[in-house]
Amino acid sequence: MFLFFPLPEFWRTILTSFVALVTLAGIMTRPFRWSEARIAVGGAGALLVLGLIRPADAALTLLRDWNTFLFFLGMMGLSAMAEAAGLFDWLAVQAARLAHKSAARLFLNVFLLGSAISMIFSNDATALILTPVVYVLVTRLRLPVLPYLFACTFIADTASFLLPISNPINIIVMSRYPLGLWTFLRLLFLPSLVAITLNIGIFYLLYRSQLKGTFDIGRLPTVEKAVKHKPYFRYTLWVLAVVAPSYVIAAAFQFPLSVISVAGALLLMAGALFWKRTTLMEAGKAISWPIFGFIAGMFVVVRAIEVTGLTIKLGNLLLRLSGGTSFGAVMVGTFGSALGTNLINNVPMAVVMNSSLSSVQQAAPAIRNGFVAATMFGCDLGPNLTTVGSLATILWLLILRQRDVEVSGLDYFKVGVLVTPVMLFAGALTIWLLL
Amino acid sequence: MRILGCLDGTNAEQIGRAAQMFNATPPPAFGLLTVIDIGPREDIDRMRGRFLRAPMRHQPVTREMLAAEEAAAQDILSAGLACVQGAETLVRQGRPELEIVNAAAEWKADVILICPSAQYGEPPQLGPRFMGHIARFVLDHAPCPVLLVRQLAREQFPIER
Repeated sequence: MFLFFPLPEFWRTILTSFVALVTLAGIMTRPFRWSEARIAVGGAGALLVLGLIRPADAALTLLRDWNTFLFFLGMMGLSAMAEAAGLFDWLAVQAARLAHKSAARLFLNVFLLGSAISMIFSNDATALILTPVVYVLVTRLRLPVLPYLFACTFIADTASFLLPISNPINIIVMSRYPLGLWTFLRLLFLPSLVAITLNIGIFYLLYRSQLKGTFDIGRLPTVEKAVKHKPYFRYTLWVLAVVAPSYVIAAAFQFPLSVISVAGALLLMAGALFWKRTTLMEAGKAISWPIFGFIAGMFVVVRAIEVTGLTIKLGNLLLRLSGGTSFGAVMVGTFGSALGTNLINNVPMAVVMNSSLSSVQQAAPAIRNGFVAATMFGCDLGPNLTTVGSLATILWLLILRQRDVEVSGLDYFKVGVLVTPVMLFAGALTIWLLL
Repeated sequence: MRILGCLDGTNAEQIGRAAQMFNATPPPAFGLLTVIDIGPREDIDRMRGRFLRAPMRHQPVTREMLAAEEAAAQDILSAGLACVQGAETLVRQGRPELEIVNAAAEWKADVILICPSAQYGEPPQLGPRFMGHIARFVLDHAPCPVLLVRQLAREQFPIER
């Protein structure tokens, strides 16, 4: 049912923009509780059916981004298999033991552990796997739950630009604008440390009164209890000891990181199957398959807008707003991306920015690198503003708040509003100084 | 007379001391309530939504979370029973402020005993932020009188006139 009649360029652009806007609005508001994946795939399907993007172009776009799809698969597989080994439970127990009964030191250890997990497994693992583990731990220790949960959820994103693999967004951006490992570390490692330090410092100030106590170490589970199966656990540690440096070496030689993550996940899965720690069915369930539909849909939708030239216009607008300076590039890139991630998800925002940045490739290297680094920085850290969802979710929570009931999701927002702009500004300033 | 003491994991002794004040005849029936706050689990679910993942109830770790919550609730009630012997115990799950007022109505409490907020470190300074949102909600919405049980703060007086 393609449109076989020629459509003037103007109406083509209008129609494409309309479909893209409806898709993005759908992702923001999720009407009828439709999943984001369904909406994104629906948007891409509408563009294909209306003939606003050629099927060959859509297929080529998806094939070109194979590294992103494979990285998501490997990242989820690696985290799930490490979870099956009890690695995260074991690390959390060790963090508590090293805290020597101090609630404040445990708080710091949760931040450090979250940073390390984000760095090696990506922010998903910290937010989705470490958070419930820490929840169980602090509930058992009878400590106030919220500060520790906030620590986990915030550090997941704050520490997600320590390495290229720390956030899939970095892979999306770097697939199109490859930065050498040294350039990545030069531009983003120090800002990451600045953001992490600010995050820890501000959180200590906010929760100091709740962190003054001690906990009873006797309530902790034994290390033996945390490790679900010793041989598989040891095997997992060995595999990760190989995977972690392999990531760094691969990034240094610009070798596709997805290959390492998938290989690591397959090795862990082989071990898990050998020791009967999982089945193929369970391993399949650990992967969030709709994510691939979501990303694929967004890639196609943004490609269709790109063909109309709109994203180039957005890129030119960003360039103009930056005033042609590296400082402007970093600030506009950071705050533009951060705002966008809170309106739509950070994946679509990164894809939109990726497409828009093609127009800044002719600019001076400092401006170009500034925009690329700031895009990753803004898309990685920006979600901390509305940690538990998009701005639409927050608006919904505000409506619930009218009923006088305390809505805990709003606590995240209050903290996010306080800490995220500070981290964004300080980090962006550091990126600019390092350009 | 039926008096409901609200335990938050840190205030068993305070509630116990307050309970001793009620030497009514016939002796009052005491209930000890603890609420498992489902807010953090809801937050984790919302966050999973941001990462396009299914809610927690499908995850194996959920069992561990529920077990930890249950164990903590039993622990809190045991500490309460040690201070208020013979009290009836109640466990609820939900938003603490809503569960407290609803439990008080269902249990037909004549008085609710509640502390201003959970206290993990030094006692808070008197002032506008003294009372937490849960105590505030209970004061505003309780179906019966509410006795706010707080620690002595004589050292913070006199307040400047």
